[in-house]
Amino acid sequence: MAPPLRLHAVAFISPLNHPILIRSFSQVKGDELKYHYIAHTSLDVIEERIASSNKSTECYLGFLYAMEDSAVYGYITPLKVKIVLALALSDSVIRDADITMIFRAFYNAYYQSLANPFLRLDAPQDSITDHSALLSQGSSKWKGFRRRVDDVARAVGAVVTTDERD
Amino acid sequence: MNSYPPELLVQLAPVLFVAGLDLPRPPQPQSPPPDILPQPQPQTQGDQDATLRPRRNTTAQDPFTALILRLREALTSQRKVAIWQPERNKAFQVVLVDKAVPFPPRKLPSDPQLPNSTAHSPLSPLLPSSPLYPDGLIAPIWIRKHTTLVPSVFVLFLRLYESPVTEPRSPLDLPDGEKDKEREREERKRDTELSAGVAERKKSTNERGIKLTVVLMASRRMLDDPSLDTRLTFIRRQSGLDSRAALFVLSPVSQSELHDFVRSLQQALFEPALEYYTSHSKRVRRKRNRHSQVSSSAPVIMHPIPPSGSVGGAQTAKVETIARPLRPEGWTVRYEYKMASFAEFRGEDEVALKHYQDSYATLLSMFSSTAIMPPRTKRWAEAKVLADCISIKICKLYLYNAEHALALSQHNAHTRRFAELSRGWGIGEETYEYWSWIARQYRVLGELLEQGTQSTLAIPSHIPTPPITQATPATQPQQQQQQQQQLEGMRALGLNPSTALQHPGFYFYLAAGCTERRQARFLSILDAEATQGITPSPSYLNEKKVDHLTLILELYTKSYELFKKYAPTTSQGQGRLTLWIACRIAQTYVAAGKFDLAARFFERISRTYRREQWMSMLKPLLASWYGCAQKLSDTELCVKLLLEMLAQGVSPSPDLTVENALMPILETTAPSSNNPITVDLSESEPFFDVSVVFYEPEMEIGESMPFQIHIAAHDGASSLSWLPVTELCIYYADDSPPVVMKRSSNGNQRAVKWISLGDINFDQSDEREHEQVVEGDLTWEKDGVIVLSGTISSGTPRPLKIMRLVLKLEKNGWKIEIPLDPEQRRTGVLPSPRWLSSNNPPRFIPMRRAHYSSTTVRQRPHQLRISLAHDEPAYLDEQYPISVEVTNIDDRDLDITVDVLLQPGEDDSINHISIGDESSSSLINGVSFGLLRPGVTSVKALHLLSTGTAGARVLDISVQSSCPSAVPPTPITPTPTTPGVPSQQDSTEHLRTISILTVAPFTVSHDITYRHRNARTALPGLGSLATFERDYWDDSEGGEATVMSTLECAGPWGIQIESLQFVPEDNDHVRLAKNNNLDEDDGGDFPSELLPGDQFCDLVVLGINPEVSDSSTPAETSVLAPGHHIISWRRLPAASNSEIPPPLCQTNIRLPALSPPKPTLLALLTVPPLGYLHKPLPLTLTLRNQNITQTAIIHITLEPDPQGEAFVIAGPRNVRAPTLLPGAECELKWRLIPVECGDAVRLPRLRVVHKRSRMSDADTSGDAVESQAGQNEEEVRIVDTRWDGLLSDTKMESDGKRSTNSPRPSVDVIRGGKGDSKGDDTGLRTIIVLPRGA
Repeated sequence: MAPPLRLHAVAFISPLNHPILIRSFSQVKGDELKYHYIAHTSLDVIEERIASSNKSTECYLGFLYAMEDSAVYGYITPLKVKIVLALALSDSVIRDADITMIFRAFYNAYYQSLANPFLRLDAPQDSITDHSALLSQGSSKWKGFRRRVDDVARAVGAVVTTDERD
Repeated sequence: MNSYPPELLVQLAPVLFVAGLDLPRPPQPQSPPPDILPQPQPQTQGDQDATLRPRRNTTAQDPFTALILRLREALTSQRKVAIWQPERNKAFQVVLVDKAVPFPPRKLPSDPQLPNSTAHSPLSPLLPSSPLYPDGLIAPIWIRKHTTLVPSVFVLFLRLYESPVTEPRSPLDLPDGEKDKEREREERKRDTELSAGVAERKKSTNERGIKLTVVLMASRRMLDDPSLDTRLTFIRRQSGLDSRAALFVLSPVSQSELHDFVRSLQQALFEPALEYYTSHSKRVRRKRNRHSQVSSSAPVIMHPIPPSGSVGGAQTAKVETIARPLRPEGWTVRYEYKMASFAEFRGEDEVALKHYQDSYATLLSMFSSTAIMPPRTKRWAEAKVLADCISIKICKLYLYNAEHALALSQHNAHTRRFAELSRGWGIGEETYEYWSWIARQYRVLGELLEQGTQSTLAIPSHIPTPPITQATPATQPQQQQQQQQQLEGMRALGLNPSTALQHPGFYFYLAAGCTERRQARFLSILDAEATQGITPSPSYLNEKKVDHLTLILELYTKSYELFKKYAPTTSQGQGRLTLWIACRIAQTYVAAGKFDLAARFFERISRTYRREQWMSMLKPLLASWYGCAQKLSDTELCVKLLLEMLAQGVSPSPDLTVENALMPILETTAPSSNNPITVDLSESEPFFDVSVVFYEPEMEIGESMPFQIHIAAHDGASSLSWLPVTELCIYYADDSPPVVMKRSSNGNQRAVKWISLGDINFDQSDEREHEQVVEGDLTWEKDGVIVLSGTISSGTPRPLKIMRLVLKLEKNGWKIEIPLDPEQRRTGVLPSPRWLSSNNPPRFIPMRRAHYSSTTVRQRPHQLRISLAHDEPAYLDEQYPISVEVTNIDDRDLDITVDVLLQPGEDDSINHISIGDESSSSLINGVSFGLLRPGVTSVKALHLLSTGTAGARVLDISVQSSCPSAVPPTPITPTPTTPGVPSQQDSTEHLRTISILTVAPFTVSHDITYRHRNARTALPGLGSLATFERDYWDDSEGGEATVMSTLECAGPWGIQIESLQFVPEDNDHVRLAKNNNLDEDDGGDFPSELLPGDQFCDLVVLGINPEVSDSSTPAETSVLAPGHHIISWRRLPAASNSEIPPPLCQTNIRLPALSPPKPTLLALLTVPPLGYLHKPLPLTLTLRNQNITQTAIIHITLEPDPQGEAFVIAGPRNVRAPTLLPGAECELKWRLIPVECGDAVRLPRLRVVHKRSRMSDADTSGDAVESQAGQNEEEVRIVDTRWDGLLSDTKMESDGKRSTNSPRPSVDVIRGGKGDSKGDDTGLRTIIVLPRGA
């Protein structure tokens, strides 16, 4: 029996490679920025993966790289939103099926939150499908997305500390 | 890797000593003494062995010198000493040595004083003089011994003596026996000398089991000499060489041949080399086995400590009080290592790996006990190095075999195990020693991978394999399926990220990170030393000499280069991974005090982060960058960075706000130039959130449109009232001066401030020399919004928006401009445009319109009144007039053109429209109505001609008006009109669509009756010539059809019929017999008017001669196209405009197909309609067999009337007619004498029965009555020729498609038919009998 996965961070990145939400579950103080870097740099590997396996409909991109104490996994939704997971690096085999399941849960959390009609309440009509609508749900103004992401993380076993801003 | 002894890391290969390839020394006596590894010298001029050879030209190169040079090059260049060398090509590590090179002593007596003491190798821990004495494990010098001092094979190159050639030798010369003998003696003498030298060498190599091979170099001539074989045999015997692969002869050959020689030589010698190392292995294994037995039986130290031991291990003695001998575990490590090395020499990687692992495992067990391996001693340090090196070797051997996961797992296990051990040794994670060591591990791994990737190692990609969805076919054998399932199972498991091999850049990066921590630990101790005065340890003093930052930079730079190398080729510019490392490099530069370098890095990195809007990473970067700018005292950069930080909402440091940092700079320093500094934040977060809202999306020329500009500080920003804003410029267009808002004195403290901009007229802005200036309170309170409100108008059609705004700050000579882009939005914030509807308290209306930030000025639309007049419904085939009336109700002159489009109908009928001379079936384009002055009306008639079926016709009428005076002579904007910009052409289009209901003018119904051919006209004979005449009319099959066409005026409008004409179709099957209209001499009733509901009849009698089909059965024959009526008509004009008669129209109405019924057997009764009492009258019955194939047998019965006879009958009452052959006809006659008078005297009742045998009636119709006699009886209907006429069964109308009228009953026609009852026949078969005398 493999040891349980330890989730360090999850990042949602828009199709234009802008960050939507980066949520860190690490207990180490001052590590948040590191996961921003990890999320950003993993875009390199994700782009490489997409380019190498063109026309693939597979969302799961697999293990991207390992850096310091984190193993980074990637996922791309059909609408090109990228989800990046940073897991604690442990000397054990991580089953792809487990990771895919976590990714799907996060993806689900994402699009459920995106369906929030109040997100676009005051926006002009031409920006309904605007890119910034995707980004806005990650802002601290909207709590639903964070809550759903935290729920998934809790289910995976991460210790979620409530954000001071919330 | 340089931190480890190279001997312990390099890839080992069999060692080959090559002697005798010294270059001939120049004659100078001061030549350097022979080196062990002499360098090849290009000097070839001198010829030492001049006496042995005939002298040649001194400038020519001696072939043997060239040969030696080439040999040296070929042997030394084939293999380079390297760590990564997985190839197995049987290549030796060649060492060039002197002929007389001595080997190191094999064994030395452990105690020189005791002659009978056990002898040991000079490197054995048992020998006091050894550096390993008494408890060393293994030393790099041992490897060096085997790579440089002791070979596995010794190759000795020697010159074979060759006697000088006596030349010229004439074939006539007799063999000089004396000279030959002399020569042989000389050769024998030389050979003996040579053999003695070889034998000497052989003796020393034999001692060590080293293979000796001699290569004799001789000229090509010598190879052909018959005496060579005997000489070689002699030399071999004399020198005691082996029989196999021990003696070669080489003559000067070409380069490629030489390479072949070198290759074959090595191949021949590889086997002995392997044997050599195998024997070493065996020896070591024997020793290890013996040792383990001894140690297991007697774990006590077996060797007494010699008193002189402390002298031998002088350095050790300082640390250790008692020098203890090597423990049994140590011996195991030593022996396993040796065996591993020998296996490596042999190229047996797997064996080597096994022994290295054993050695490593034992070594680890030694480390786990401080008693066995006391920490921080020399031996401990040596053992640690050894363990690291063995670990690297194991990794390397795994990587040779592409077992990446195992290699990494070895590396991970090594670091983890030693991290644990380090804690026990007091050099745990809180010490710089630990981080230094761990950094070294990653660095070595990185270097190993780098070397590997330069040759054979491939970094695997970790793309997950897609799951196989297709089920494996059942045809595959069971075993294969199982294997496949296992493989899938493995794939499904995923991978272990910690053993996933990545490119070396990652490991250099890790090493750099570890070195950073090492530095941090070191610095903390440095602080502790300064404050508490801790006594420095030697390692600390050593650490002090280390330049950590250079080390970190070196590692990061290395990593950066590797990341760049491995960056995906698809990504343009710089990869993000490299940017990350660049960021670390920049931070290292900051730490190293190289601020200018760091600032340049920051500038480059921030560009990407800004572009991709990763503000979270940009913020700390800005703070560091600002720190650099401060250190560089670049005040302008400081100001720019501080303003950007203000926009981002970050402060330069936790205890310093932007205000506190920026204002002192502005107050105390002066800018370098008077030019304003532009802080362009277009790629970053905007300085203020600007949103421009126009109230309506469109406006007309001359109108004023209210608009608002909301300028808000970002969320959570503190009050910005300290910001020295002086003015705000608002640019409406690129080419016009802005509206400038100057800062007035502070007004209120409200968060929402409303400032009026007044009215802005675009047309005047072109002429305006000076900018429009207004004043306003440009201070932002906390969460403040400034709303600029104004109206805008334009005299020309154009899109309007606010191009840009520029915020200007001024303080103490500093001039700063911050452009604000209304389009720019803060990351992750949806725009929520609002309209400030009330200032106090502030109320906003959300503006949810698309494109709220722009408005479009349009031309005023032209005012036209368009009316389309026509009298619906229209008739088919009619030129239907539609009057198009356009009235200019605008105040301008308008040029009007009209386009009419006729939509295609639902059926495929072709309709036409026409205006004036133009006519089309679809579109009439550009009908000019001329220039209309205000109030003027223009009318044109449009005609629609509809054909086909009734229904709606749809017309699109487009009335375009253009204002000729509005087109300016020169366009306002010189640029060509771009899409989206309203056209300068002042034109308006009005669209009208009308649907015209079209109905048929008449409904037509046809009544058709058919009459048989006249009974009295007999058929012509078969050969009658008349049948061949052109105008012969054979109506035997047909007869006459009477068609009564009834036209009814169906529409709401009356119709005047001008003429009606029947035109028979020109074919052989129909001819016009009679038309009632043509009978009239004066043209009949025409013209006649039909009001709605009026009917009009036309009777046409047609002789028909239908086509006879070939089928045997009587078929329904028909005449498909008998002809058509042509009706010329016009609509009755309405009373109001009767002066112009409507145009004449023509409608064609086709008659329906005629299909007379066709009985097979015909009985025609002919009787005069009027008779006189007692005066005989004839009654004739004509029987006609129209069947083509069957004979008719007919019985006729004249039945008496049960009510009493009215006639006296002369003739048979019951008769059988003559048998009628097909096509035959016969007549039966009776004479009747009336005995009653009356207007309806009933004729005697006739019954005609057709009798047939049952055999032939299979295909007759079903109403045959079966008699008892077994015959079919079929009653033949009798047709009274006076009333001959059959109404067709179906009601026919003029056109099958138009069936609007209900069928009308026909009363005046005898309904005949087989189904009719007898009573009908008898009841009607009457005549009028008058009394005599009338």
